[in-house]
Amino acid sequence: MSTQEAAERLELLQGTLDLLILRTLIFGSQHGQGIARAIQQTSEEELLVEHGALYPALQRLEDRGWISAKWGTSSNNRKARFYSLTAAGRKQLVKETAKWERLATAIGRILAREAAGG
Amino acid sequence: MFRHRRKANDFNAEAEAHIQFEIERLQESGLSAEEAGAAARRAFGNVTRAQERFYEARRWLWWDGLCQDVRFGLRMLGKTPGFTAVAVLTLALGIGATTVIFSAVYAVLLKPLPFKDADRLVFVQKKNPPRGWTRNNISPAEILAWRGESGAFEDLAAFTQHSCVLTSAGQAEEDPCEVAESKLFQLLGAAPALGRTFSADEDKDGGSRVALLSYGLWQRRFGADASAIGRTIDVDHVGYTIVGVMPAGFSHLYASPYGTVPAMWLSGIALAPTSTWNDYWGVGRMKPGIDLRRAAAHMDQVSVRIERREPGLKGWRAQLMSLRTMVSGDTRGALAVLMGAVIFVLLIACANMANLLLARGASRANEFAVRNALGAGEGRMVRQLLTESLLIGVGGGILGVLLASWGCQGMAALAPRYLLNSAPGLAGGAADWRVLSFALLTILATTFLFGLAPALQNARPHLTETLKQTGRGAGQSRRSGRLRSVLVVWEIALAMVLLVGAGLMVRTLTGLSGVNLGFNPSHVLTLRAPLSGDRYEQPHAQAEFWEHVVAATRALPGVESASVSRGLPIDDWAGQFFTTADRPNPPAGQVPDANYVVVGPDYFRALQIPLRRGRGFNEHDSGAAGRVAIVNEELARWCWPGQDPIGKQLRPGSPGDTAPWLSVVGVAGNVHSQGPDTGFHAEIYIPYGQFPWLLSPEHLVVRTAAAVKPDIVVRAVVQAIHGVDQGVPVADIATMEQIAREPMVQQRMVMALMVSFAGLALALSALGTYSVLSYSMAQRTREIGMRMALGAQRDNVLRLVIGGSLRLAALGIAVGIAAALCLTRLMTDLLFGVRAADPATFGAVTVVLVATSLLASYIPARRAMGVDPIVALRHA
Repeated sequence: MSTQEAAERLELLQGTLDLLILRTLIFGSQHGQGIARAIQQTSEEELLVEHGALYPALQRLEDRGWISAKWGTSSNNRKARFYSLTAAGRKQLVKETAKWERLATAIGRILAREAAGG
Repeated sequence: MFRHRRKANDFNAEAEAHIQFEIERLQESGLSAEEAGAAARRAFGNVTRAQERFYEARRWLWWDGLCQDVRFGLRMLGKTPGFTAVAVLTLALGIGATTVIFSAVYAVLLKPLPFKDADRLVFVQKKNPPRGWTRNNISPAEILAWRGESGAFEDLAAFTQHSCVLTSAGQAEEDPCEVAESKLFQLLGAAPALGRTFSADEDKDGGSRVALLSYGLWQRRFGADASAIGRTIDVDHVGYTIVGVMPAGFSHLYASPYGTVPAMWLSGIALAPTSTWNDYWGVGRMKPGIDLRRAAAHMDQVSVRIERREPGLKGWRAQLMSLRTMVSGDTRGALAVLMGAVIFVLLIACANMANLLLARGASRANEFAVRNALGAGEGRMVRQLLTESLLIGVGGGILGVLLASWGCQGMAALAPRYLLNSAPGLAGGAADWRVLSFALLTILATTFLFGLAPALQNARPHLTETLKQTGRGAGQSRRSGRLRSVLVVWEIALAMVLLVGAGLMVRTLTGLSGVNLGFNPSHVLTLRAPLSGDRYEQPHAQAEFWEHVVAATRALPGVESASVSRGLPIDDWAGQFFTTADRPNPPAGQVPDANYVVVGPDYFRALQIPLRRGRGFNEHDSGAAGRVAIVNEELARWCWPGQDPIGKQLRPGSPGDTAPWLSVVGVAGNVHSQGPDTGFHAEIYIPYGQFPWLLSPEHLVVRTAAAVKPDIVVRAVVQAIHGVDQGVPVADIATMEQIAREPMVQQRMVMALMVSFAGLALALSALGTYSVLSYSMAQRTREIGMRMALGAQRDNVLRLVIGGSLRLAALGIAVGIAAALCLTRLMTDLLFGVRAADPATFGAVTVVLVATSLLASYIPARRAMGVDPIVALRHA
């Protein structure tokens, strides 16, 4: 992937990374690189996640008790730190998702009107 | 938040694993190992930055910063041991002195009294404002009426004090005792350490006689043996059963601090509703929600009713005082003055510290500029400098508290005895956690007070300016120099106030010591030997005892004269009414009263009280002869103005009493019988040979020869007494000089402390002046060199330095005089023979301050005069 390609991707909005991490983990535990890949792939390579920036977010979520982490072995027998969703994290995900959808709808409405009016 | 702290290594491993996964994935998609490695790292971003972010998120950064600051601060302080020592010591003295005084304020004024709901307890006395009486003892009639009819109190308990002689369980001894109502202990909520208190039955006249021991007496006389309970103790030759022991420290927290500390409490107070004998005090517990004013109003209503029934109680009203006020006595004012003084000392110490830090900042200006250039923000540098100040503060504080624990003992040694009675914790005051918290707060407050301004000043370096000046003894802004001068002016002003205060106290003490007491206290030994029991029931037996004792004492080597008396100047007072034959029936309220002193023939010789007229007593003035009295000049002037008092007649007691008339045979000189700071009172001297029944003598007064110290004859005198009767207790052995000092002891304590505070203040302000001058001289080396090169003489340079010093002193003194004029007025109650605005004191203090300023400028002046123009100009 070239620099050109990376520049065209969307940067994440502030605060959305937490939501995406929680959402990714709903399918089961995953290590940091796996989470980063999953976000990129699921968004069909539209979203740019700086892998290094993922970790403070993971740490924050862990501190809040929404995800838990432990060292384990990956499918290719490499040691990695695996994150999984906690019960509180699941609740938070529902809450955040609803909030995001409301926000997205609201912004969508405004933009649609602008487009129609303009 | 930090349930499991991850190590940084753990994170690094995770990051490494992440990159490996990414490399593998990229290799799978066809990249070479090298390309894959580069791409994976690019995708991850800055690994080190991620590690830092992780680290920052996981740590209390401020704690890290603090540790770093502390380490750095310690290193910086260690580099300048001289500065550090001066700073820590300055602060230690300031904080130590403050802690000592606060511990006294706490022990005397703030510490909760060890009683249940102590704020509802009041001490009950009475007053008669129209007749000028105040703080008098109360009578059973009043106590019972107040208790029964006033709705203000839950309960009211009475007690009375007297001294009693213990004759069982060891040698005879005399101790202060209290006869107390059983209610007293319940009302105070005080439980005995052992056994029980009195029951209501035991208050009655015919009830069983029981005693409670004080902790001290129990330890001293019964070896802290629990089996003392149930034993019988002979008090004034009457057997009392011991029923309990009161806890240590209980002895005297509910009564007047000027009273004695009881060794024992006795039952059988037997208050009679008709008795108007004023020999009692009361302690009351107010009902919840009632304050002193309302309680007093209730009591006044009852008093109005009583005076209709009992005409003898006309005009008397209850005088209520909270237990706290009562117990702390009149030390409140003295302690307030001392607290103010010590805060001044602390402020001076702070000003000095700020000064030292500013000077230090000047010499470190380079360091600050470099650090600033390397990216240290202003906030970060202020924090660093405050941490350094805090280190000094903590060091000074710890040393200060150590000094304070020592100072508290010193203060306890100076303190009046009554203060130690009501505040037993005075000597160990600094060990209290509340006092320690106060010290800690003081440390923090002072750190900010002295540290903040210099930190702000120093952390704002004038970068280019400073770095350009490097090598020239980098300068500081003019503003900082002015700030330092202002600080010194303040120091001098505060020192001025303290010096004036101390000077006024010294003048007070000299005034008090210089008062001619009317007798000669030097070389006089006194003691008490109270006589009690069947053996001395008859007056002539007592007279016989004293004749033998006086004869035996007079025969001792080194003894010049000896006499007996009941009553001693300053120590003892026995006021009583009398009437004169010229005016046998004065109207109520105008009955004269006088201090009665029952004396032996040699009393006037022993104390060297001059006889102004007539004759002294002799051996013939005994029972059979015509009854005689000697009056003092004050009484003669008062009762028989312009007449010859010799031959006049008077008799003790109220009008209508039928005591025989006494003829005045002599007039004695006035004696300050209540201490040097009170005036003269009427006094009547009576020969004990004629009136042993009135007030039996118990003081022995011994004058030793000029070359013999009174202490030396103590053993021999006690032996002489025990030679006459082994069973007579000897108490209160003291020299007359000690007794004469007693009324001044509070002023002496205040003076000693004020003088040491003022000395400290003077030294600190001198140090301040010195440091400002020597710094400004160092800065002006080049200028001085230039002036000298241009022909200035050493005199001119000297004038420059001295002029600078005097300008600071003059400003400080001007501010100080104004402040002192306002503040010393608050000391008026402590002063004697000197006005608060005493010009002599102000003048002397000004001279002292000017002299000190000159002294402080001596070294800087010498240094400035020694400037070699060539060297100064070449290096500038």
